[in-house]
Amino acid sequence: MNVVVLAKQVPDAESSIEIKGDGERLEIQQKFATSLFDEFALEEALRIRERHGGRVKVITLGAGKATEVLRTGIAMGADETLLLDHAAFLDGDGYATALALSRAVSKAPCDVVLCGKQAVDDDRGEVGPMVAQFLGLPHVGGVVKLDIAEGKASAESLAEAGREVVEVSLPAVFTVQKGLNEPRVAPITGVMKAMKAQIPKAAPEDLGLDPAEVGRAGSKVQVKRYLAPKKRPPVQIIGGEANDAAREAVRILADVERLI
Amino acid sequence: MDFALTEEQEFFKKMITDAVDRMIVPKAPEIDRKDEFPWELWREFGKLGYLGLRYPEEIGGMNADPVTAMIFYEQVSRGSVGFAQSVIMNVLMGTYFIYRFGSEAMKERCLYPAMRGEKVATMCFTEDQSGSDLSATRTTAVKDGSDWVINGTKMWITNGPIADMATVLATTDRSLGAKGLNFFLVEKGTPGFAPGQVLEKMGCRGTVTGELVFDNVRVPGENLLGTEINKGVDYLGEILDEVRVMTGAMALGISQAAFDEGLEYARKRVAFGKPIGSYQLIRAKFADMASEMEASRLMVYYAAWRIKEKLSSRKEAAMAKMFATETCLKVVDEVTRIWGANGFAQEYNPQRHFRDARFLLYGGGTHEILKDFLGRLIIGKT
Repeated sequence: MNVVVLAKQVPDAESSIEIKGDGERLEIQQKFATSLFDEFALEEALRIRERHGGRVKVITLGAGKATEVLRTGIAMGADETLLLDHAAFLDGDGYATALALSRAVSKAPCDVVLCGKQAVDDDRGEVGPMVAQFLGLPHVGGVVKLDIAEGKASAESLAEAGREVVEVSLPAVFTVQKGLNEPRVAPITGVMKAMKAQIPKAAPEDLGLDPAEVGRAGSKVQVKRYLAPKKRPPVQIIGGEANDAAREAVRILADVERLI
Repeated sequence: MDFALTEEQEFFKKMITDAVDRMIVPKAPEIDRKDEFPWELWREFGKLGYLGLRYPEEIGGMNADPVTAMIFYEQVSRGSVGFAQSVIMNVLMGTYFIYRFGSEAMKERCLYPAMRGEKVATMCFTEDQSGSDLSATRTTAVKDGSDWVINGTKMWITNGPIADMATVLATTDRSLGAKGLNFFLVEKGTPGFAPGQVLEKMGCRGTVTGELVFDNVRVPGENLLGTEINKGVDYLGEILDEVRVMTGAMALGISQAAFDEGLEYARKRVAFGKPIGSYQLIRAKFADMASEMEASRLMVYYAAWRIKEKLSSRKEAAMAKMFATETCLKVVDEVTRIWGANGFAQEYNPQRHFRDARFLLYGGGTHEILKDFLGRLIIGKT
């Protein structure tokens, strides 16, 4: 059972991000982390391997410190990695990124493709479904439970009034979210292996792609401007009866601040 | 001059920071409140293999250099000093001389299980009447045939009451003072070896610290940890600098934990309609804390680098330990002030850091001793 994980490097939650120019670009402090939802994908891939055998491969598109995402994958137990590392890949929209990643996935047969339901920097949630489309594979989104059997899978996602269970034949793409698992802490043997690992890299031509098809050049959507969010006052008093106030507090935490 | 960590060290730092944030930080308040050894956490953490990081890969370690080790000591201390003390005892002091001088059978029984967290190690120096003054050690080791018979009492022993093995400092001849000192391995279950009083401490709670009693404890000749008799102080010199710098790294960890708490509070706490971080006096506190922490960091890692490069490091290690500790004491004090009355409440973390920081004054040498040592070194013979 071979599993591919698509993992993205995103700015660390505590890194400072400033809008520069006339809203044209972002200046991001050089502190990075693996996108949270991709961590769940990686952990699930390792659990699938533990149950069914096979190999886990992690693919990342990025430059420079993006290797850390792959080293983290190795430290946790991934067997292989691939970094799509070329200037042509950068600054792409979901379409261009998904095209590059899908070509990388297709280089070797796999049964399951896992990634987070969205990257925690842009929150667009496009790449996973687009990868499935490019690969001609079924896609199940927002998975919180995944059972793999020979040739098929049963995936559970959160729905408005409960949960939805979908059965799908493999290979397939699953985008996962919080609640699926608790990512493991890497053991020192994994950390040591990751520290020494040579990370293979691929350029567009290695994937049979023209540079004009990927990155900014291949994007269907261009960012025109960044706008700063409206400044909020530091304290918000929730008035009213206790029950009503509690309900409102939960709504703010879940729907506005998205903390729970 | 390149002050940057290597790419490998940066990655290691990221991994251990993640492990600490996920495994230790959430449990730290409870460890402190209950003041019970966190066995479950110990076993989980032990399985990750970090307890062997200073030893060779061939025996299951990581062969970590002193700089990488300092990253580890700093991060674990940032998580919980009450846990870190026990961890670090297993990583270095409690196991080093077994690694260095022990037989393979001894290593199988003691070192390798300690590296996996399956056994708890400790090192016994301090006695009721001797701490800084090792030459006043009263615990004796007397040769009897091929065995040694050890008698004495040790106090303030980290992990002591729960230890499976103890590296014990004992004298073969009190008239020789420091020149008569040796290290011996004593294992749990040896007749006459027993834990005594457990100490209730103001900080570093969770680590079990106490008394160990040696009442005619007979150990085989091979339990003398050393190739020559009466060379204990010389052998101690092999790790003394690392122990001091390690204490500095622990100070950095506590400082950082407290600083982060202070920063978050200053950004959120509103007074007179503004976050208190808007006020000059609060900003000044952060400027001072951050500057001194940065200086501490440079000193600690520079000293660690000198040890790694096998350069003389006695002066730098003492300075780093002292400076980082004094900085830490200032930082934890300032943070409780920033928190106001909440800094006094056991419900919040700043008071824990304030209490934990005090132990740094004693481990690795008191500052009075270190200042005297440094002064003599600098001024020279008079």
